[in-house]
Amino acid sequence: MKTYIKNIIPAAALLVAVGFSSCTKDLDVTPIDPNLNTEIQPEQLFNKCYANIAVAGNGGANGDCDVDGIDGGTSGYVRQMWNAQELTTDEAICGWGDEGIANFCYNTYDASHPMLRGYYYRLYTGISFCNQYLQEFSDYNAAMTAEVRFIRALNYFNLMDGWGNVPFATSITSEKPVQYSRQEIFNFVESELLEIEPNLNAATAKKSSDSGYGRVDKAAAWLLLARIYLNAEVYTGTAQWAKAAEYAKKVMDSSYKLNTNGVGEWSAYQMLFMGDNGETNAAYEAVFPILQDGVRTTSWGTTLFMLASTHDADMADYNGTTEAWGGNRARPQLIEKFFPNHDAPEAEPADVVVAAGDDRAIFDTRGRELDNTDPSTFKSGYAVAKYNNYTTTGASTSSAQFPDGDFFLMRVAEAYLTYAEAQARLNGGATNTEAANAINALRTRANADTKANYSLDEICDEWCREFYFEGRRRMDLVRFGKFGGSNDYLWQWKGGTFNGRNFDASKNLFAIPTTDLTANPNLTQNPGY
Amino acid sequence: MKQVNIQFPLRMLGLILGLFLSVSAFAQIDVKGHVKDATGEPIIGATVRVDGTQTATVTDFDGNFVLKAKQGADITVTYVGYQDAKVKAAPNVVVILREDAAVLNEVVVIGYGAVKKSDLTGSVTALKPDSKNKGLVVNAQEMMQGKIAGVNVTSDGGTPGGSSTIRIRGGSSLNASNSPLVVIDGVPMDGNGVKGLANPLSMVNPQDIESFNVLKDASATAIYGSRGSNGVIIITTKKGRKGSTPQVSYAGSVTMSMKKKTVDVLDGDQYRTLAKQIYAGHMSEESILSQLGSANTDWQKEIYRTAWSHDHNVTVAGAFKNLPYRLSLGYTNQQGILKTSDFKRYTAALNLNPSLFEDHLTLNLNAKGMWARSQYANTGAIGAAVAFDPTQPVYDSTAKNFGGYWEWQIPGGSLNDPSWPTTTNRNATSNPVALLNLNDDHAISRSFIGNADIDYKIHGFEDLRLHLTLGADVSEGKQWTDVDAASPAAIYYGNHGWDKITKRNLTLSTYAQYYKDFAKIHHFDIMGGYEWQHFWRSQHNNYWGLYPSTNSEHPGEKHDESTYSYKTENYLVSFFGRMNYILMDRYYITATLRNDGSSRFKDHWKLYPSAAFAYKMSEEKIFKNIDWLSDLKLRLSYGKTGQQEGIGDYNYFAVYAMNTGVGSYYDVSGDGTLARPDAYDPNLKWETTDTYNIGLDFGAFNQRLTFSIDAYYRKTTDLINKADVAAGTNFKNTVWTNIGKMENKGIELTIGAKPIQTKDWFWTIDYNLTYNHNEITALIGGDDPNYFVPTGGIGGGTGVNAQAHAVGHPAYSYYVYQQVYDKEGKPIEGLVVDRNGDGVITEADKYFYKSPTAPVTMGLSSRLEYKNFDFGFTLRASIGNYVFNNLMSGNVNMSAGELYSNGNNYFGNRPVAALDYNWQTYDLEAKLSDHWVQNGSFLKCDNITLGYSFDNLLKMGSYKGVSGRVYATASNVFCITKYKGIDPEVFGGIDNNLYPRPISFILGVNLNF
Repeated sequence: MKTYIKNIIPAAALLVAVGFSSCTKDLDVTPIDPNLNTEIQPEQLFNKCYANIAVAGNGGANGDCDVDGIDGGTSGYVRQMWNAQELTTDEAICGWGDEGIANFCYNTYDASHPMLRGYYYRLYTGISFCNQYLQEFSDYNAAMTAEVRFIRALNYFNLMDGWGNVPFATSITSEKPVQYSRQEIFNFVESELLEIEPNLNAATAKKSSDSGYGRVDKAAAWLLLARIYLNAEVYTGTAQWAKAAEYAKKVMDSSYKLNTNGVGEWSAYQMLFMGDNGETNAAYEAVFPILQDGVRTTSWGTTLFMLASTHDADMADYNGTTEAWGGNRARPQLIEKFFPNHDAPEAEPADVVVAAGDDRAIFDTRGRELDNTDPSTFKSGYAVAKYNNYTTTGASTSSAQFPDGDFFLMRVAEAYLTYAEAQARLNGGATNTEAANAINALRTRANADTKANYSLDEICDEWCREFYFEGRRRMDLVRFGKFGGSNDYLWQWKGGTFNGRNFDASKNLFAIPTTDLTANPNLTQNPGY
Repeated sequence: MKQVNIQFPLRMLGLILGLFLSVSAFAQIDVKGHVKDATGEPIIGATVRVDGTQTATVTDFDGNFVLKAKQGADITVTYVGYQDAKVKAAPNVVVILREDAAVLNEVVVIGYGAVKKSDLTGSVTALKPDSKNKGLVVNAQEMMQGKIAGVNVTSDGGTPGGSSTIRIRGGSSLNASNSPLVVIDGVPMDGNGVKGLANPLSMVNPQDIESFNVLKDASATAIYGSRGSNGVIIITTKKGRKGSTPQVSYAGSVTMSMKKKTVDVLDGDQYRTLAKQIYAGHMSEESILSQLGSANTDWQKEIYRTAWSHDHNVTVAGAFKNLPYRLSLGYTNQQGILKTSDFKRYTAALNLNPSLFEDHLTLNLNAKGMWARSQYANTGAIGAAVAFDPTQPVYDSTAKNFGGYWEWQIPGGSLNDPSWPTTTNRNATSNPVALLNLNDDHAISRSFIGNADIDYKIHGFEDLRLHLTLGADVSEGKQWTDVDAASPAAIYYGNHGWDKITKRNLTLSTYAQYYKDFAKIHHFDIMGGYEWQHFWRSQHNNYWGLYPSTNSEHPGEKHDESTYSYKTENYLVSFFGRMNYILMDRYYITATLRNDGSSRFKDHWKLYPSAAFAYKMSEEKIFKNIDWLSDLKLRLSYGKTGQQEGIGDYNYFAVYAMNTGVGSYYDVSGDGTLARPDAYDPNLKWETTDTYNIGLDFGAFNQRLTFSIDAYYRKTTDLINKADVAAGTNFKNTVWTNIGKMENKGIELTIGAKPIQTKDWFWTIDYNLTYNHNEITALIGGDDPNYFVPTGGIGGGTGVNAQAHAVGHPAYSYYVYQQVYDKEGKPIEGLVVDRNGDGVITEADKYFYKSPTAPVTMGLSSRLEYKNFDFGFTLRASIGNYVFNNLMSGNVNMSAGELYSNGNNYFGNRPVAALDYNWQTYDLEAKLSDHWVQNGSFLKCDNITLGYSFDNLLKMGSYKGVSGRVYATASNVFCITKYKGIDPEVFGGIDNNLYPRPISFILGVNLNF
């Protein structure tokens, strides 16, 4: 008995002692999860800065979204930019019941708009990733640092264009950012682009087989500068047409060029929106392609969104994936840019293109009506078949579901129209020869007829013809004074009525999301909200 | 014997009590007796006493006793956990003891110890599972349903082997965890399950459970510190008995389950008529109507079946020399009513509880093992069966690529495979029968829970006790998925792979307890201890598709293969103590303190105190003289508890998350991998709840009528909320941070009555009522009434939420538009109230309307026994819970553009009720109208049981024969509700194709050999 006790007590004491001594140390943990690292390669964060505008999060198409409070598949940069820039305009309408869609289509968005909130935070998330890279790795590689600063500038550009007066941060701190005016953001974006330009790689057109494809070089900085100068009057009150033309011209004169030759049945213009657009000469037009791949880089909110949301099951063979969601389609005002007399035939896209005399009129009109009589019905309005996942060679793509086609966020054609418009503005509203030539270059590429002179209104329409459904229309309409606050130009369901009505000019800026106004007392809401 | 030795197994207590009683003899008759319980099992160690004398004894291993008494004298038999019984002295007597969960002497297991129920200062409910009326019980949590005030158990529908959600006093969290801490045989579990086993409660065979003890107020739960806020459920499993001969018993049942109610949808003929009506004159009339089929398929009939289940348990209990043991083996085979779903489980549990050195050293060793196989049906078939076109047949002999099933098809050009000219239309509803049959999805789970309790009363200093618990919980679940290439769920490539979760948790806890009585009127005890726990968990998965052999480029190759693996761990280190002081058996004071260290927070340590006071008024003279009053006690308590489940293990420091899964690379530099800096709050800490409790226990007529009422106020601060951060200040727009506050106020009422207790008749009634009001009082560090957090996604649109958290409202309140009705009271389509009067309908016009959580819940159970017959039932009511009828909200659009869907080229069926609505649009306002928020109050009958007990069956010679019971039970018998959907009991409140809970009929038998 006694020996037992002798044994038990020390044994128990030992156990307790072992337990106690190991306890406090155990509480200081480092992750054992192989997916969590405290140290990384700079390239991995560099990739993330780019990926923020290409995929929804860290888990490919399905999962681990970078933005909270919005459906992950909906949260993609392209999808959000597209919704904000297209559904609010004369180009596109959507019948889905997703929260926020109707408010876009009827121009009734406000500070609680869930998709604008998602877009806003997508942009700031990107800014934070870039700030982290610049804080940790700015000395690693001068070109990479310049590229990350470019992406940050691009995000601020989107914020400036959409919201105008927004919080401004260039480092990660717990200090609540102050609000910059639209002018201040403009100044920042301009000075960043000018400052990084020398460090960016030389402007060199690339295909996916060339190294550096998907990364930005000097041409991207020029084109973004051209874009902010073109819209400078809107952003700052002071027009900068000459600078817009100057930087556009730099892009036009670079090795990036319009894709002018079609392949097989595919037109040169169509090649920009196909599954192998990174592999063909179309890639040389892409100043900034957002990469997608059916297996390695998948997203519900990038190229797939473009081709699936615009197709329904009747058109399944026209997009080359198993996805056809039947949502986004043309408003009649978009069709009017090609068929001013409302005489589009009821036909498949190839025939509509012929009837329009313009390769860009890629519409499917079969079994559909021109008007958006019932916005919730996909057949109510012509379908846009511009995006597909076929290859020019007929080879299959890497997946039947997710497309391989890259999304050309910036392409050379923008430089041509920017140049033409800037010259026309400098020239009292009419194009000079050089400007007309720039427009005609695009029209020739599209096998459309050409003219010697274009009015500003015609240039505005040309922006639509060349870039419809590419996510920039709202910006152009604002610049031409045709968006909110203008009775000159109405489109179907503008302001929420079938025939269209004006809405207030204050809606030319989006509202700062309520969530950020609450979280950051430094912020003041935009007027009118 | 005021101090109850809290570590002794329940049944040994009586034995030891008895040993202290003197046995003396008078010249009287020999009374030979046998004591057994209602199931015929002998009761060992019951105290038998001749009234008015010192004569007493205890029953032996077979439940027998012998003592001397005057003929006709009253003999009282007592045993812990049973009601006292009286017999007249006679040469041969048989005494049947009735179980009594309410007796005051019952020992209640609390955290790190046990107390007599009469000495409780906190709010603790002890529940012995009702062995006679338990219905279809596969999981332990179902045994608590409706039985305990303040505890709400909602099953996740009728999935075989499925789990339930438990909420005690409304829970304390918003975004982290609201599930109570589960302690099994002294080992606190983590809250997670593995594949196939949803949570720790599913790791125990319910047949092995001796008792549940639910700790509700902070006085009881604060000893669990940072894990006590959501309440604690302590499960004690059955043990062997000292000195018992081997007892073999068997419990088995056979169950037939069937669906109760299906959605009333249009049949084929009705649908054809409707379609012809709608598309008359339509521009595509001919082509659309040509898509209609000629069949009359009742799709819901096609997917459900009558399901058979059986359950067998064999137990051997006894003692080998000084070693009491209990070994049980269980087998459950449960079929689901949704075809292709079933659940099989084998369990084994071994308990050894020897005591050595004159009971100074007691050991309690438990090993519980489980092997389960869950076969999951694709539950998408439930919604598909409601929505699928009833004019189409189940099979289509021409559909060679679709497994012979009829499907909506589109051209297959994107597949680039000439042998697949068509593929399934991904927007269309999939054939529900194909979804079920072309799918093999099953999980195999294994779990082992082992623990060793060592309790040592120091020789020569018996007032001091040392206790050590070592526990291990090792579980693994692996789920295999094999979806055929012909299945519409994964057409062409199919979906194959597996996902495995392993967890390994270790516990060491030790404490010392000292207790002492002074001057007869003071009782004092103090306990101090230490606990160390390590929780480790990993997950691996691997999924792939396969190109069919007909693919020209990659025949038979893998497509889209993905692998993922992850590991995580956390530690919890704690010091704790409790002090009890009792003065004159009247005034009780309990104080506890726990200092918890968690690896989940930068500041590891936090202190959780509690204090309680009880006043046993019935001991006062003025009450003592009231004969009928048997108990009157007032309880007051306050305490602080924490909550740390559901919070990431590495949320307080900066880490980069690497990309995971196929499709997640971005090839602009290096190997295309992504590193994302993750958002974090370095100051993250526990959620803390302050609980105030006042309770009154009342008992009359020797506890034949008991009444207990508790009122509580719980205030949670530092509520972890995924809060919006100022844009630009972190790596995500929201971060887990401690900024919210929430309150729960409630009243719990328990009434127990035994109106009849005679020789032949026995009747008990138990009733409980809970009122709980939940309200969020802060969300963003302030009380901005306009701020809300959307939640509760509904079907019918991407990112559409029907609920929100906001200050001033219960969590998960519905946040919807206010419907406008016409004169007849019919909702006007798409017309909602412009509540802010700005002329347009935007999100700002939504308002908070009702909540999915019932403020009032009630349970009523009763058992009536007459001689060998018993009859019992359980009723449960929920009042004021609202349900979002998502099934109807998504199915009332009868427009030409929707019925033959919106360019997506398929017909969708509608519930018959949708004809009345005949809505034409899918406006968001119509979908998010408060019209769909419907009253889900209900009264359900969970079980009705009729049983017959018998003795001495097949008695031969010295063999006493077989005793036992046969019974028939109906489960989920009826539901009375105004709600129009299938079942108003929907956890979370969004009713969208829940796996229906079946009605079940059970025939069972218990046998003791």
